[in-house]
Amino acid sequence: MGFHLTSKDYANYIRKAYRLIHEKGDYITELDSATGDGDHWININMGFEKLVEAANELEEMTVFEEFKKIGTIMMSVIGGSSGVLYGSAYLAAAKTLKEKETIQNENLCEVLDAMLQAIMSRGNAQPGWKTMIDSLAPAVQCYKDCILNQVDEKTCLSRVKQAAIDGAESTKDMEAVRGRATYQANKGVGHLDPGAVTMSYQIATLMDCVLEKL
Amino acid sequence: MKKIINEPTKVVSEFLKGMEKAHPELEYTEKLEVLSRREKSDKVAVISGGGAGHEPAHAGYVGMGMLDAAVTGNVFSSPSPDRIIEAITKMNAGKGVLMIIKNYSGDIMNFGLAKDLAELEDIQVESVVVRDDVAVKDSTYSTGRRGIAGTVFVHKIAGAKAETGASLQEVKAAAEKAIENIRSMGMAMTPCTLPAVGKPGFLLGEDEVEIGMGIHGEPGVMRTTMKTAQETAEILLDKILQDYDYSNSEVALMVNGLGATPLMELYILENEIQTLLEEKQIKVYKTFVGNYMTALDMSGCSVTLMKLDEELKKLLDAPCNTPGLKIG
Repeated sequence: MGFHLTSKDYANYIRKAYRLIHEKGDYITELDSATGDGDHWININMGFEKLVEAANELEEMTVFEEFKKIGTIMMSVIGGSSGVLYGSAYLAAAKTLKEKETIQNENLCEVLDAMLQAIMSRGNAQPGWKTMIDSLAPAVQCYKDCILNQVDEKTCLSRVKQAAIDGAESTKDMEAVRGRATYQANKGVGHLDPGAVTMSYQIATLMDCVLEKL
Repeated sequence: MKKIINEPTKVVSEFLKGMEKAHPELEYTEKLEVLSRREKSDKVAVISGGGAGHEPAHAGYVGMGMLDAAVTGNVFSSPSPDRIIEAITKMNAGKGVLMIIKNYSGDIMNFGLAKDLAELEDIQVESVVVRDDVAVKDSTYSTGRRGIAGTVFVHKIAGAKAETGASLQEVKAAAEKAIENIRSMGMAMTPCTLPAVGKPGFLLGEDEVEIGMGIHGEPGVMRTTMKTAQETAEILLDKILQDYDYSNSEVALMVNGLGATPLMELYILENEIQTLLEEKQIKVYKTFVGNYMTALDMSGCSVTLMKLDEELKKLLDAPCNTPGLKIG
């Protein structure tokens, strides 16, 4: 039958993702201080905090409205370019969910793909540039491959999770193309990109939440 | 730092409140930092915006014949989409909205997302991006050329076109025609100080100038010693004319001050530019001298040319009444 993710399930995912992001504060800030402004965690944590505050309200919406609302909150609370990129990602994802009651396997792949395309075009960035894209892009690619090869949902979701985590890990050897890390002599090589790491937390948590539905 | 302010964090809201009081025909929306025309007319709405610190751009160009609203971010930083969407929804009269954006990555992203949000609300939004600065190909805050003083001409042309009752596509086409025909080049003599920072972001020697510096202090093409007005005019104009063919055409000329340069010096520079243009048989149809697109208290200037055809002439001559520019 496969899973049916409801707006309530997605709100639960938000709560869990917040817990993980919140827990990892010191670690993310440490990563960020090595290459960036040091404010990535503060901003994304604040964004998720607001989402959790709105979670009861989110549960009652259609998935389309829910994603739109999440995008708007992220945009205004996270602020800066991360806020715009997450906002764009959720709005683009919302468009794929119009008139849908729940999110099923292929929809979820479309949602992640829409997010990826939106972040790439809004940020004018490519995979391999040491950004959050480097966690999301391999996860989307893996998801597409699994669907194409009719891999069972359970295996598929576990693989997507792993692809996101490995993707974040792969930023360690990359040279930054944008942002503050580019001003460093080694362009951030040897350091993980904090944006890719927090992205991998979100994807991993989402996949875990969906796995629980199976 | 010597500045007439209360608190660095309040400069944007306080200057906009001041503008509202000085110009009762304009309305300030608190927190969202939008300045708009009080009277909403039945036409395509033209909006613009960007970081503060470039006054009179952009809030000073709100009014009849130019912008319907301007959205202001913090000093030198783009307004967020929630502010931009406020300007869009407030001024949309059902005929659609044209956004005029200067080419900086932050502005492109924030205005782009605001457009997506507006479309979800079924508001028709189009945008044009101004990239008139010929100094550098890419820069600190932009992929591609930066948008600078030429943006004011785009406000004028698009605003005038919208006043004629033209459709969104027609207003956009007029703005794009202006953009294609505009080139600018600037020069800085002293750095600027952001209120929140309190000291200059870079330093220039006593007798040193930077050719092609951006309006946020981004690097230009070269540092050199201070030249005469005549030599400065040659350097700036040459770079523009190398980039675009203005020969045998009629142009609008803008000699713009960056904030701390006396008008006397701008007129001296303009006099030299006029002489050079005459030698090159480029006919100046209309001249603008003043502080149109500034960089806080930076001293320096920029020169902008816009090649004109009959339509652009007509739109340039059309009346406008804004704090920063009045015609007719």
